[in-house]
Amino acid sequence: MAELVVKNLTVEFDKVKALDNVSFNLDSPFFAVIMGPNGAGKTTLLKSIIGLVKPSSGRISVYGLNPFRETGKVRQIIGYAPQIVHINIHVPMMVKEVVAMGLLSSHLPPRIIERKVWSKVDEALRMVELEGYSEKWFTELSGGERQRVLIARALIKNARLLILDEPFSMLDFEAKCEIAKLIQRLHFKMGVDVLMVAHEVSPCIAYDPLIILLNKKIYAIGKSTDVLRFEILKKAYPGVTEFPQGFIIGEDHA
Amino acid sequence: MLDIVVMMYIASVLSGLIIGSVGVVIATSRIITLTLTILHSVLGGGLLAIYLNSVLNLNLPVPLISTLFAIALSILVGELVEKGLHEDSSIALAISIATTTTIFFGYLASRTSSMALSKAWALIAGSSALVTIEDLVKLSLTFSITLPVIYVFFGEFKYIAFDEDGAKAMGLNVRLYRYLLYSLAALSASILSSTIGILATHVVLAVPGVLIMKIFKKLSIFYSCIMTVLVMVVGYILAGIFNLPPSGGVGIMSLIAIAVGAFYGRS
Repeated sequence: MAELVVKNLTVEFDKVKALDNVSFNLDSPFFAVIMGPNGAGKTTLLKSIIGLVKPSSGRISVYGLNPFRETGKVRQIIGYAPQIVHINIHVPMMVKEVVAMGLLSSHLPPRIIERKVWSKVDEALRMVELEGYSEKWFTELSGGERQRVLIARALIKNARLLILDEPFSMLDFEAKCEIAKLIQRLHFKMGVDVLMVAHEVSPCIAYDPLIILLNKKIYAIGKSTDVLRFEILKKAYPGVTEFPQGFIIGEDHA
Repeated sequence: MLDIVVMMYIASVLSGLIIGSVGVVIATSRIITLTLTILHSVLGGGLLAIYLNSVLNLNLPVPLISTLFAIALSILVGELVEKGLHEDSSIALAISIATTTTIFFGYLASRTSSMALSKAWALIAGSSALVTIEDLVKLSLTFSITLPVIYVFFGEFKYIAFDEDGAKAMGLNVRLYRYLLYSLAALSASILSSTIGILATHVVLAVPGVLIMKIFKKLSIFYSCIMTVLVMVVGYILAGIFNLPPSGGVGIMSLIAIAVGAFYGRS
């Protein structure tokens, strides 16, 4: 049985379909990128897998667990990094506080962070190459460093599956490539499965990810050489007549 | 028997501590508008209780009815937002209900008895210059609830304010914490309205949290409490000097504090 199973998934908001009968299976180890235009339901799909958005119909299985019935167990094995634009940077948080947040689900309220957690925080920061950053303020970091901190937060509980929502957004190309390299290293060296949303796949194309082409329904799943073809892309991106090199075919959610 | 002026200053300190502890979370959670709606609800609930007491000869505790009414309306807002209605629309609906209730029962109360009318006016204008021992007890009890709860769950409130989706994904029951915060805001608003008055509460509720975020790098309940107590006490002193109502003095001090924060605070 596949580790991530999405079967006939339909999600509706006010009777408008955000996802329409979406089905796919991913066998571990996987490094998959969900692509699609704005409003394609990419984030909704990620949130359904985590158990944050209830589907109207269909089934999801994450390593054999149902995210809606076994929510706690699923959230223990999933590390999630949301879109950076959804972070309220006006709340003053130190890097170590942000990373320690990832251990919340393994503590009971009140979740006072114990001293031993700080060593785990340092370890998670080492994994994302941010040693010595724990005492810095999140707002003082660059876009790429902030993204790394969010990935460290997702990793701190030894997640089996890393779910990243637009990790390249608001970054310059060099920073995108560095984040892609980091994600690839986590996937290949540490065996973490990766499912991420990206408008631009060029930073990670060298790592040969599985591409899931989505626009409310699945248009194609496969290796980039098979999916990133004009005749396939134009089905998922109606109205677009040509695609720029590098496959920058959407806008970051700013 | 405590001197009335001393009691007034004790009330200002206790009020400052309540607002300081709750206000810092209100500001970081970006629910200042909702909190002001809660204040309107307190007025509606208070007038409803005053009316029922005068017509049905009941002895309903006005702060309790105000708190429950405010909690009910804030939960209504929360549920409507959860169901997908825009936050502004949900708040607008709640404030409409609160205002209608205020006007309707204020009118009915005024027709029932002049006593009811004076009680309603006391709720609006406040009685901070006429603090009683009972008021001090109510403020102390409220403070002994708000501060420990905010202190214990400060991390959770901060995480939710920082990244709500992330907090949900990590297993926090965001809805529960949201309602806990609304309840604390409603309780504080209700008790403060019935002791120092709704106008003074209006003036000072949003200031400390915003200032803390503007001036200090770190969110601190302690600094927030100190700052609010200062605004309250100095405001009361100013009111005494210039022969103003206490809420006027607190208003002037809040303005000064915000202006200082805007000029010298962090960008």
